[in-house]
Amino acid sequence: MLKVAIVGCGKIADAHASEIQRIKGCEIVAACDREPLMARQLYERFPVRRYFSDLSELLSEARPDVVHITTPPDSHFGIAKRCLESGSHVYLEKPFTLYEDEARRLIALADEKGMKITAGHDDQFGHAARRMRTLIHTGFLGGRPVHVESHYCYELGRSGYAGALLGDKRHWVRRLPGKLLQNIISHGIARIAEHLTGESPQVIAYGFTSPYLKSMGEGEIIDELRVIIAEKEGATAYFTFSSQMRPSLHQFRIFGPKNGLALDHDQETVIKLRGTRFPSYAERFVPPVVFAKQYLGNLITNVRTFLARDFHMKSGMKYLIESFYRSITDGTPVPIPYREILLTARIMDLIFGQLDVHQRQAGAQDRMGGYIAAGH
Amino acid sequence: MITEPQVAEVDRKVEDTKRDAFIIGADDPILITGAGGFIGSRLVTRLLAFGFRNVRCFARSSSMRTAVASLSGRRDNGGRIQVVKGNLLSSEDCADAAKDVAVIFHLAAGRGEKSFPDAFMNSVVTTRNLLEASLRHGCLRRFVNVSSFAVYANQHKPRRRLLEESCPVEERPELRGDAYSFAKVKQDEIVTEYGRRFGIPYVIVRPGYVYGPGNVAITGRVGIGTFGIFLHLGGSNTIPFTYVDNCADAIALAGIKLGIEGEVFNVVDDDLPSSREFLRLYKQNARRFKSLYVPHLVSYALCYLWERYSTWSERQLPPVFNRRRWHVDWKKTRYSNEKLKTQLGWVPQVSTPEGLRRYFEACRDQGSYA
Repeated sequence: MLKVAIVGCGKIADAHASEIQRIKGCEIVAACDREPLMARQLYERFPVRRYFSDLSELLSEARPDVVHITTPPDSHFGIAKRCLESGSHVYLEKPFTLYEDEARRLIALADEKGMKITAGHDDQFGHAARRMRTLIHTGFLGGRPVHVESHYCYELGRSGYAGALLGDKRHWVRRLPGKLLQNIISHGIARIAEHLTGESPQVIAYGFTSPYLKSMGEGEIIDELRVIIAEKEGATAYFTFSSQMRPSLHQFRIFGPKNGLALDHDQETVIKLRGTRFPSYAERFVPPVVFAKQYLGNLITNVRTFLARDFHMKSGMKYLIESFYRSITDGTPVPIPYREILLTARIMDLIFGQLDVHQRQAGAQDRMGGYIAAGH
Repeated sequence: MITEPQVAEVDRKVEDTKRDAFIIGADDPILITGAGGFIGSRLVTRLLAFGFRNVRCFARSSSMRTAVASLSGRRDNGGRIQVVKGNLLSSEDCADAAKDVAVIFHLAAGRGEKSFPDAFMNSVVTTRNLLEASLRHGCLRRFVNVSSFAVYANQHKPRRRLLEESCPVEERPELRGDAYSFAKVKQDEIVTEYGRRFGIPYVIVRPGYVYGPGNVAITGRVGIGTFGIFLHLGGSNTIPFTYVDNCADAIALAGIKLGIEGEVFNVVDDDLPSSREFLRLYKQNARRFKSLYVPHLVSYALCYLWERYSTWSERQLPPVFNRRRWHVDWKKTRYSNEKLKTQLGWVPQVSTPEGLRRYFEACRDQGSYA
């Protein structure tokens, strides 16, 4: 029986506890939060053996095999380091760390200690995302990806998050190097990193504060981001984050030399985009039918999955956790290669570095309404 | 003939006599959390009307700026309104706000949160911080905890259909599937725990559904709007309405009346309409829309099936509909405000017909429901 602990008992910890209790062969032996009331509420609502408000006590008394770290990102590095040093494997929620350097040091430490570590990029393991990955591995694209596009949006207006963040100038999100963006975009960036082959892509980032946030008196938080990512002899990518565009997309498109694929994370659909054209007017009549058939196929798959009781909102998280646990118990490869975790961190570093530098150049650029820069 | 100054003098003496039954004087500091909110802003008005002149309003930084700004500008009855901005999750902010305070009206809560941890943090951790701050200063004479009808289990009641203050509170609130209820039960628990362990004098006020301009939603006790149709679930049930001004009155009295330490007060108005009457009036006076009546037996069966499916499917559908919730929201229940009237001398200043008229007018202006 794998002994699991959860450190940090906020909102996302609920998702972890829910999914862990659905996995056979493991048990949540402890929950920990430096606010004892928060640790206790998780303990009261889930089958958790004990709760702690001190990490050292948890590690020495509960001796977990795996620790899920679901604390605010600025504490990730320190907590993960202590867990690895005490001999626990680590599932670290996104964003993995604040900087690439911290990510590199954690991975090196995990290797040194013979432990395993993974990042909470669970969106990459939803049903549709897995179907898309299978199609890519079976050669549907017709070669290496030429271009990818990732949309990862967030409706600030609909969430209580906006009120909490905007109303509190000391909110922990404001302490992050990338502020709001750092806490949200890693899912969308990680999707891109999965398909890049180089180690040092060029990144051009453009970010600004939306008129919506400005109207609420906010000038510090950037909630609109457009990024171009390019490898010297590899794929290119566009990344879009927006709090204002509608629909609020969570989509990923990948194009190869022959065909493309379109993934919609919200709708759990994967659509094949044929590279060849039908002759003459047939191109205007046949593809809509083909697409209709594909959407119907996705619907049937989704209904079947639902009826099979495997269509939970966080099914990707369950799959990722199970895969990670299997890598610990059976010695299989970790579900997210360390290279991808590091590349995601590097791209985010480059984005925030550029936004930060240019945000500090204030004055003239601010009056132009945005910040733009390029760099390696 | 009595002159105006004489009338004013008589009024002043009447007010002074009333204040004899209060636990604080007119200049003792009062703290209100959530002062910029729907009920909080009315509470400030009522306290000023009672003649209290030292009101401190706590509001989250930058939030509800308009309401807070309007409060800070007021000087009714020569009163002093101080606006303190901060975050109740900060112990330091709580300590600053609670300094020298004689009464705390704690209205701020994690409303509208779907996440259990968020609701808990914004209701329970904040309450604990305030209680700790009060202990540190040692000058608090009453902590008024504004709770909710959502804490009651509405089962195994001593007087069958009648829901009153002595009725049992939900023992397993985590099974209700509602983050707000869970947080409110735990908030009440921590207040009573601090009262018992540290002797903090407290009163708990549990309003029913607070309505009025500023909250034009239709309560879920009437029904639920889903996929373009409104499912009417309340039927002939009485809806425990309380008009916002009446509710603010009750809360104000709970904070200042002598001799009610440790008591719980439910707040509902007189002449409550049934769900069906309310819906009819709403459609006549605010907005027309299609609704489908779901009989109680059917709604109970659906809640039961949803609950079972949720368990069987390992929460593929979250247990937002379940039998516990049905008992609270849709079971036929009667409500009493007798204790409120006898112990606090509360009388609803706004009648239900007048309250509904104002509510419908606000609904018409906003043009939305549920």
